[in-house]
Amino acid sequence: MNVIEIENVTKTFGEFVAVNDLSLAVPQGSIYGFIGPNGSGKTTTLRMIMRIYHPDRGQGVIRVLGETAHGAANERIGYLPEERGLYKKMKVRDIVRFYAELKGCRDFKERVAKWLDRMDLASWADKKVETLSKGMSQKVQFISAVISDPELVILDEPFSGLDPVNADVLRESVLELRRNGSTVIFSTHDMAVAEKMCDFIFMIYKGNKVLDGTLDAIQSRYGQDTIRVRVEGNGSFDPGRLDGIEHVTDFGRLQELRVSPGTDTQDVLGALMRHGRVTHFEMTRPSLHDIFVRIARPEVEGASKSAAQSSVRKEPARA
Amino acid sequence: MRKVIVVAVREYQAAVKTKAFIISLVALPLLWGGLFAVQMLLKDKVDTKDKRFAVLDYTGQIAGPIVESAQKRNAKNIYEGEDPARAQVAPRYLVTVIEPTNSDLSTTTFELSERVRKNDFMAFVVIGPDVFQPDAPESARAAITYHSNMPTYDDIQKWLREPINDRIRDLRLKAANLDPAIVAEVTKRVAVQNLGLVEKDAQGNITKAEKTNELANIFVPMGLMMLMVMVITVGATPLMQSVLEEKTLRIAEVLLGSVPPFQLMMGKLIGMVGVSLTIATVYLSASFVAVHQAGLDHLFPRHVIWWFVVFQAFAVLMFGALFISVGAAVTDIKEAQSLMMPLMLMIMSPLFIWLNVVKEPTSTMALAASLFPPATPMLMTLRLVVPPGVPLWQPMLGLALMVFTTIVFVFAAGRIFRVGILMQGKGAKVSEMFRWVFRG
Repeated sequence: MNVIEIENVTKTFGEFVAVNDLSLAVPQGSIYGFIGPNGSGKTTTLRMIMRIYHPDRGQGVIRVLGETAHGAANERIGYLPEERGLYKKMKVRDIVRFYAELKGCRDFKERVAKWLDRMDLASWADKKVETLSKGMSQKVQFISAVISDPELVILDEPFSGLDPVNADVLRESVLELRRNGSTVIFSTHDMAVAEKMCDFIFMIYKGNKVLDGTLDAIQSRYGQDTIRVRVEGNGSFDPGRLDGIEHVTDFGRLQELRVSPGTDTQDVLGALMRHGRVTHFEMTRPSLHDIFVRIARPEVEGASKSAAQSSVRKEPARA
Repeated sequence: MRKVIVVAVREYQAAVKTKAFIISLVALPLLWGGLFAVQMLLKDKVDTKDKRFAVLDYTGQIAGPIVESAQKRNAKNIYEGEDPARAQVAPRYLVTVIEPTNSDLSTTTFELSERVRKNDFMAFVVIGPDVFQPDAPESARAAITYHSNMPTYDDIQKWLREPINDRIRDLRLKAANLDPAIVAEVTKRVAVQNLGLVEKDAQGNITKAEKTNELANIFVPMGLMMLMVMVITVGATPLMQSVLEEKTLRIAEVLLGSVPPFQLMMGKLIGMVGVSLTIATVYLSASFVAVHQAGLDHLFPRHVIWWFVVFQAFAVLMFGALFISVGAAVTDIKEAQSLMMPLMLMIMSPLFIWLNVVKEPTSTMALAASLFPPATPMLMTLRLVVPPGVPLWQPMLGLALMVFTTIVFVFAAGRIFRVGILMQGKGAKVSEMFRWVFRG
């Protein structure tokens, strides 16, 4: 069963098309990652799901939790907006309690205590929001979004600005929400998080859906065209000059080479060995990061990419 | 409804549980009371340095009595009480009599003016030779002129009127062969006392009419009206600020994920009604205790308190809706201020005509003004508290019109709020706000 079904939805702001003819289905109990460059339409899509924005008139359908029309206010949905806002003068406990009451929780006392404890905020419960650090207020906001155990949780960049410890705490909470049956949608710029956490990944670029599916399905679409190498010795050597290498992503100690179709990787290995000592040679599928960059930086990537991109666009949403 | 209450409670606590609120609650009356007290203290603190002035009397018959009156005054009237150690509360008047010379008037007055400039004395009076002729043509010869270089200090000029006119009258009476003492007796003025109406008490006895206290009749309604204005402005400003805060800090987005916009707005309005009732309760109880302590219970306008509370609650809803619209439509406090100006003027508008309304509470103008919804809470309360009061249908009609206006304003504010609260970047123009209202 799908928690969210979006069919052919378009949203324009004046002349600007923020979301173009989008269709998307989010199955119940999944973690769905929204990725895409800044300004590509992630937040607009999330806000339309929240019904803070409405699609252009006569355009498409958005069905959330089986309903096609309701106001933004929905006790079954928890929402963490992109730009965090909390009443500065309120105490942490009071603000969490306020949101719990707004969401209709009757046992808010226990819930507030439980969540403040879990997020390591118990000792800050009676401090004012304005005294909190950015990461702490983000956790407070996260609690406000999920305190009522909503069926659907929408988090707009929940991990941005968190240190690794707090990111772990938050990730654990998201996973637990899913274990308890909630469906979670979040947007992120952290490809590693998306790769590791999400059952499905959706990428939007310039208002158009460019990726949608499991990580496995997305990666297999690009085939095993990536080689990860480490070559010691000649520092000035640029593997991009080799025949059959389309693109090089240099990580410093490691390079990711994308080979053009039909290239024999043995030839690449031989060529590399002639330039230095090869200590690492791994044939792999492209990482989400690489796929993201391939789509979002076509002008830098060159002509071959536009072909790949258009082929992706023609794909059906997901089998 | 439950969410409306949750929002209202938060709004109320956010406004009331701050130091600023408590300070302003205490500070405002202290400030007003302090100003009043300072005025009272300084009222008698006049400069008691001797005041010198000159009298140039061409009749030769008036300067003498002026000197006598000044001496009498210096001996008695400038002191407080009869005690020998009494404090001097007014300056002594020292009169220099200038004998007329043969030089012409303009030369003499110039010389006297020069002496004023040199601080020989602070003013001089010229009494023309023809002042006894009641029908004398307006000319320098029949005039009494007072000259000084301090036109705003008019105590001497005012004081002079009495001795001069008394003397002139006496001389005229004598010329007409009338005894001034008898004339004074027969022309003695009788005061008209200002009393209320005569009533019957419980035993059926006709009671004596009470002397009316004109001061109380002005100050009690004024106090009530000022309280109303203050409660609205003190409550409405934080309301506008909280909407602006929710908008700029993007709290609104989260709130709207939990509460429909209209309920959110209603919660805020009801919270503000609570705040305003708190302020009114504090001040009304304080003034009740104060007048009770002073033994002036009859001054406390018990009979209009309920009207006051009802009018105030609707005034807060009516103006609060407008303030919320402003908060939702603008993006920063500067933009808000330019839109607040006309609202503030609207709230203050009754202050321009309140005195006329108090003097003639039953006039058509007073009735019309008090039925104009934005002015109803202030002016109708005034008219209710000033005797003889107004027939019941008038406050009822005023209330009905106000309720109707409030509903219209709240409805319009709801539409502006719904769109404006999520709008970022730039503030809305007034024309845009109207479009939101009408297009929905």
